[in-house]
Amino acid sequence: MPQFGSGLTLFLSLMVEAMPFLIFGVLVSGILLLFIDEQRLIAKFPKNPLLGALSGSLFGFLFPVCECGNVPVARRLLIQGASAPVAIGFLLAAPTINPVVIWATWSAFPDQPEIVVLRVVFSFAIATIVGWVFSWQADLKPFLQPNIAALMPPSPGSSTAESPEPTGLLKSGTYFLDQPGNPVALEAANLDAVLAIASPQRKSLWDKLPLLLENTIQELREMGGVLVLGSLLATIIQVSVPRNIILAIGQGPVTSVFAMVILGGVISICSTVDAFFALSFASTFTSGALLAFLVFGPMFDLKSMGLLLMVFKPRAVFYIFAIVFQLTLVFTLIINLWIS
Amino acid sequence: MTAKRLRTKLFPYLPEGLVTLALGLWGTLILHYWRSGKLGLLIHPNYYGLTLAAGYFLLMLTVLQILKLWRRRLPMRAQHLSLLSPPVMSSIMLVAALIGLLVTPRPFTSQTAIQRGLQDTTLVTRARPQAFRTTSNPEKRTLLEWIRTLDVYPEPDAYAGQKVNVDGFVVYPEDLPDNYFTLTRFVISCCAADAYPVGLPVKLEGNRKTYAVDSWQAIQGEMMTETLNGQRQLVIQAKALKPIPEPDNPYYY
Repeated sequence: MPQFGSGLTLFLSLMVEAMPFLIFGVLVSGILLLFIDEQRLIAKFPKNPLLGALSGSLFGFLFPVCECGNVPVARRLLIQGASAPVAIGFLLAAPTINPVVIWATWSAFPDQPEIVVLRVVFSFAIATIVGWVFSWQADLKPFLQPNIAALMPPSPGSSTAESPEPTGLLKSGTYFLDQPGNPVALEAANLDAVLAIASPQRKSLWDKLPLLLENTIQELREMGGVLVLGSLLATIIQVSVPRNIILAIGQGPVTSVFAMVILGGVISICSTVDAFFALSFASTFTSGALLAFLVFGPMFDLKSMGLLLMVFKPRAVFYIFAIVFQLTLVFTLIINLWIS
Repeated sequence: MTAKRLRTKLFPYLPEGLVTLALGLWGTLILHYWRSGKLGLLIHPNYYGLTLAAGYFLLMLTVLQILKLWRRRLPMRAQHLSLLSPPVMSSIMLVAALIGLLVTPRPFTSQTAIQRGLQDTTLVTRARPQAFRTTSNPEKRTLLEWIRTLDVYPEPDAYAGQKVNVDGFVVYPEDLPDNYFTLTRFVISCCAADAYPVGLPVKLEGNRKTYAVDSWQAIQGEMMTETLNGQRQLVIQAKALKPIPEPDNPYYY
């Protein structure tokens, strides 16, 4: 029974500590989605592929979304004519390179600032590299699901500067909205009609508040549920797996990295709170392994894979996975084998 | 209105009701921990304010949601991408909050101290002390201050004969003879998830069985050097032991 007692304390402490950060992330991203005009921002992105990837990776500072929110936003960016490096840089970096996540990581590791700094540096480097790699594919359409490709403005890559007038209806905040009480599939054929009604840019502040409440509750339900499951899994591993097994895996410079990358890919915990999850492994796992979890998890996990497949074809999702996976391994193994 | 009609009428509200209840219970749970003083068992005091704000926010959200449902307004159908169905997610949160409300969390025990590596001295990873502040008077050092002093200057002989006055709970490590126990405390830097144990061996006159595992003791004694398991280390030679009640907040920071 002592296992149950300490397991419960562990589980509740993870939940109670993570809850404010979860709420904060949901609120800030909800507010920005409803109030920022993305289209004007997209026009400002640099056209150079490398600079595009760089600025796309930093775009998360304006849209602090975790990995549940970044796919819909990246999809909107693509449809509105953002170039591939911008959209993919954003897709991979936004869940990590944003103020809420950096703050949460800092809170979880106050004694290990290197974890915070390296998490940001590695995520930023990987997102930029992958975004840049994808810029070699001049036309991204073969990589996208047909319904998304059909919505993109013609000749992508070069069209960032011309603001795409014909689809002036695609404003921010539309992805979680539909007609009241009447679900309408978001398809090319009826897209304009659907979004014309739901576009929050045309609504007054007073009208937007109920939408914000709605968005907040839905996101809290989704991410809160995953947080409960993730905390539960962390707790079960902590109290039930014998210490010598955990140590044997966690103290090996290579095994620990692989174990944490797999864990990060499986548990799909929201990036706003995954630092607290990693914290419960901090005393038994190498720093490289914790970093691998914190870098890889937000970029690619089971949940985000499902979301990515709604935008990209399986082939492209596999490319993203393979590059991100290998870069994570390289960076974190360098830390484990040569630096720490 | 027949029962069936009532059910069809209320059914669309069920998912909304579930999530409202779940969020409301989480808000209640946080405030309950605050009022009962149990929040200190879970998180570092630096985060009390933040967590309390989250608790109040959740309750506010619940009230707004109830007002909305009261006016019989169903939410707009959302095109939200989710992993499991919304009612399942709400139920998971609901059950977790109920468990938290029904079972009182307990501080970590000696079993956790051993699981968390009280005896390991050779870990690659180890939470490192940040601030090094200690009183020059050895009698006033807490257990944690002793450990930090040792971290900086590990030679046990340097402390021989110094007076000790510390408290903590009793752990029986498997690798020490039965006239020793380890006086232990947990240190946290963020929340209970990162708690790690610190402790010093205490040498007793008789068998350790007199002092139950997990009992809290205030110990007065003197420092000495002993060779335990082939390693020279600092040991407290106990002169007087006094059982004390478990403190409200058992952690060091």
